[in-house]
Amino acid sequence: MSLRSMDQLLALYYREVTKVYLSIFTLVVTIVQPLIWIVFFGSSLSGLPSFFLESYFHTNNYLSFLLPGELSVSSISMGMMASMSLVQDKRLGYLKRVMVSPTRNYVIFLAKVLGGATRGLIQVPILLVAGYLMGAQIAFSAYLFLWVTAVFLVSMGFSSIYFMFNTTSADWQRPGLIMNLITMPLMFSSTALFPKEFFPWWLKLISDVNPLTYLAELGRLALIQGAFDWTSFIALMGFAAFFLALGAVVAEYKLTPE
Amino acid sequence: MRAILLENVTKKFGDFTAVDGLSFHVDEGEIFGLLGPNGAGKTTTIKMITGLLRPTSGRIEVLGIDVTKETMRVKERLGWVSSEVILDDDLTAMQNLWIQAKLYGVKNWRERAENLLRFFGLEGFKNSKVKGFSTGMRKKLEIAMALLHSPEIILMDEPTVGLDVVSRKAVWEVITRVNKELKVTILLTTHYLEEADSLCNRIVIINRGKKVVEGTPEELKSRYAYDVIELESAVPLKLHGWDVIYSDGNKYRIKVKDAASVLPSLIMEVGPQNLRKVSVKRASLDSVFISLTGLSLEEAGGIDERKLQMILRRARR
Repeated sequence: MSLRSMDQLLALYYREVTKVYLSIFTLVVTIVQPLIWIVFFGSSLSGLPSFFLESYFHTNNYLSFLLPGELSVSSISMGMMASMSLVQDKRLGYLKRVMVSPTRNYVIFLAKVLGGATRGLIQVPILLVAGYLMGAQIAFSAYLFLWVTAVFLVSMGFSSIYFMFNTTSADWQRPGLIMNLITMPLMFSSTALFPKEFFPWWLKLISDVNPLTYLAELGRLALIQGAFDWTSFIALMGFAAFFLALGAVVAEYKLTPE
Repeated sequence: MRAILLENVTKKFGDFTAVDGLSFHVDEGEIFGLLGPNGAGKTTTIKMITGLLRPTSGRIEVLGIDVTKETMRVKERLGWVSSEVILDDDLTAMQNLWIQAKLYGVKNWRERAENLLRFFGLEGFKNSKVKGFSTGMRKKLEIAMALLHSPEIILMDEPTVGLDVVSRKAVWEVITRVNKELKVTILLTTHYLEEADSLCNRIVIINRGKKVVEGTPEELKSRYAYDVIELESAVPLKLHGWDVIYSDGNKYRIKVKDAASVLPSLIMEVGPQNLRKVSVKRASLDSVFISLTGLSLEEAGGIDERKLQMILRRARR
């Protein structure tokens, strides 16, 4: 990437990110939405007998189990913002303005994807603090930062997928539909909310190739035990790298201005 | 060297031919008008010159550079003003200019941006959000953005569509000043004939993607501009020996060199009692278009209401 492209990326990325901070409403909702999740959903199972929690979730605190899972789910669904913002730019003509300039399409793609992933990242520190205050176990170690890095990368990977669905379309209905289509099954077929011990065999198979499973498990390892699994980390990096590369190529050849 | 050169350019969308074997050139330093009704292929032509669209066949050169082969090099040297107003409303004028500067790699951007804002009388609004700008101010800011990287050529797609009379005059003045004082070649599209007449050195009129005629406004007026007499009659008329360019039921359009001198004899010939209405369109670019195609610009395309509304809506937000 040339210095010139870096500059272009910086400007377009700045534009994506300021949108979040400019709107108090957006900022508040971005933070409150996952908080509601952990408060409501986290509390729903917290009263289970601790022997059950121990044997089923391997922790006596369901919140500790849920927190890394919910953060993973939430940050991949925030990636949808990459495609929403793309559709918005197509509809308002802004993408034409950028595509008339000497900016390569992959730079536009990277700005959107980075922007989407950054929105997801905003939630991480807030949720960790909130979870800690609510009694979740959090082991502060370097692994925590590595896990957050993984969340960011996977979020970029999903942003790339969402982006690709709108490369040639300006349909505002698509981002939401695609997000529901992708997020819901991924969430329930992963171990983000429940452990897989009691999944039927076919769901286990899906769960084993689901990046969300690896992201949630890696989070649990880092947060609850202060440990890490490099194989999972590398696999997640591979996932992100693959879809980033694919998205960049698709954008470069197929992106339409409107 | 030609600023812009189009050779036999065709653009098809599936079965639909938007631009059909179009050839024209723009010389350096001139204001050139691409004139035609809506749907004539003006915007498609502009998009092909900017590299947003690839021509199906034919050749386009900007400052001697082939657009299809070296799109990025061409983009560096072109400025573009859209027909919609495209700005980021959430950002200030300066922030919009900053992004534009980064996209084009402008080094001393702050100084240039401030000069341009002063040139357009917007220096007092540089840190205001674009949200609150009037449509005229937005247009000026857009033109300032197009000029930021000192392009040799600016393409303006319907620069005054959706503007009121006062803002339109202001934008005309801006266009002339940009051309004269900043020495920028301008290619503009318009469906306002008076706009092309008062701004452009040369124009090409296109209809349904094809070139109808090309020349200076004066040339076209003296060669093709006839007065057009429009008759609405009570009974069908026989108009032998008159140059009838259009008839529809009881409506007739007749092309004459000088309406004032032939009108009395025309009325006598058809009989005043047979006429409901007589009107005369004096020679203008409008009548050039009518005498070449038989249709007025409105009839050929009409104002695209939907597009206009969209622009106005955006401008108000």
